[in-house]
Amino acid sequence: MEVPPLLVQTAGSLVAILALAGLARWLKLGAAPRLASADDVRRAAGEVEDGFVPVATTCDAGGAGALARDAGGRIMLIRRHGNRFAGRVLTAQARALRPDPAGPFNVIVDCAEPRFGRTFLALDDAEAWADAINRVSGPGNA
Amino acid sequence: MPDFNPTAYAIPLFVVAVLAEMIWARLRAPEAYEPKDTLVSLAFGLGSTIAGALLGGFALAVFIAAYDYRIVDFGPEWWTVWWAWPVCFVLDDLKYYWVHRAGHRIRWMWASHVNHHSSQHYNLSTALRQTWTGPLTFGFLFAVPLVLLGFHPAMIAICGGFNLIYQFWIHTEAIHRMPRWFEAVMNTPSHHRVHHATNPRYLDRNYAGVFIVWDKLFGTFSPEVDDEKIRYGIVKQIGSFNLLWAVFHEWIGMLTDIWRAPWQHKLAYLLREPGWSHDGSRETSGMIRARWEARTGGANAPHATSVADRNPIAGSAEAA
Repeated sequence: MEVPPLLVQTAGSLVAILALAGLARWLKLGAAPRLASADDVRRAAGEVEDGFVPVATTCDAGGAGALARDAGGRIMLIRRHGNRFAGRVLTAQARALRPDPAGPFNVIVDCAEPRFGRTFLALDDAEAWADAINRVSGPGNA
Repeated sequence: MPDFNPTAYAIPLFVVAVLAEMIWARLRAPEAYEPKDTLVSLAFGLGSTIAGALLGGFALAVFIAAYDYRIVDFGPEWWTVWWAWPVCFVLDDLKYYWVHRAGHRIRWMWASHVNHHSSQHYNLSTALRQTWTGPLTFGFLFAVPLVLLGFHPAMIAICGGFNLIYQFWIHTEAIHRMPRWFEAVMNTPSHHRVHHATNPRYLDRNYAGVFIVWDKLFGTFSPEVDDEKIRYGIVKQIGSFNLLWAVFHEWIGMLTDIWRAPWQHKLAYLLREPGWSHDGSRETSGMIRARWEARTGGANAPHATSVADRNPIAGSAEAA
């Protein structure tokens, strides 16, 4: 039986892909950058939205995420994505949930984008930020 | 007639080059790669090959039909007309410039092309992050003038294959600048880093495939600024390594917008630039750039040092 060339090429490519991705992991490429300071958050926020200038920030205890608020009251969620950061300016649909205080996280931010998913944060000032997120509303944030 | 697909022959070279860049990254810039991102990029490449084989038939049929109406006839052994090959290559690259520009300026086309820009990394695996849905756009129509001129569809396909192969090596941070004369004429890692950047100054710049002269000719060229760190990806980063979401997210977004829009605006969501909205609730690249220019005067740049600067391989000649 003759195997179609496309199938051979596909199978070979699949093996190469898995090998390269495995190699990237084995070589320990990538890293886990942390958001540990207001400067870190300011820099990341400016990358998420050019010109976003935080007037208040808070960082996750593990450095994997942060929240930032600008002078206009907009709140930005930033979280680690691979070894980069991605974020969203939260809309009126966003919600902050307070999980079981015994757990490792004290705020869960749902930015209302299913594919972006929920972000789990451990914040020092969790209650204030959760309240602020749940108050977000108005056309400027929609 | 030559039955030759240069891209298929280049795949082993792609694999070896990615391997070499990974080793470079291990030694000099481990952050240049991320295993999940690499896996998604390479899966894009594989899926693109399959999608092209399955869906490319319609474009081929159009080209073969158009070839019957060619203005110039290179004869039954058209592949022996040696000078037609470089002419076809250059004209195909000009075609690439325009189809690529349309890919950024028309949302229908962007829905497909955004796949190539969806990584926040810029390395050789990113080059293989090719779309699955190109055949669902009208991009192939940009090649019809070449067919009508008399270039056989197979010649155009081969030239296009070499064009794609050329573009592979420019997806790297490992090379700072090529020699000045090269930077002046050819697309290079420096020029193409600009194209993949989301920094406002760089949005919708450097559409070239092989020859950067097209951007200089048509007013879309921007040189790389050394003291501004480049951010890669798209303005609204996906934030997910889900392959299918990465492939189809803009199609879903566009179709949702068309569905929800008032009748008089539905077509605009298909044909206007990405980010356009009938109620002004979103920003296009032009709006982002204008806001940035208003804020900074278009000149301020934070001090940073690019990966390429820290890890030079090529010479450090000034850009043209």
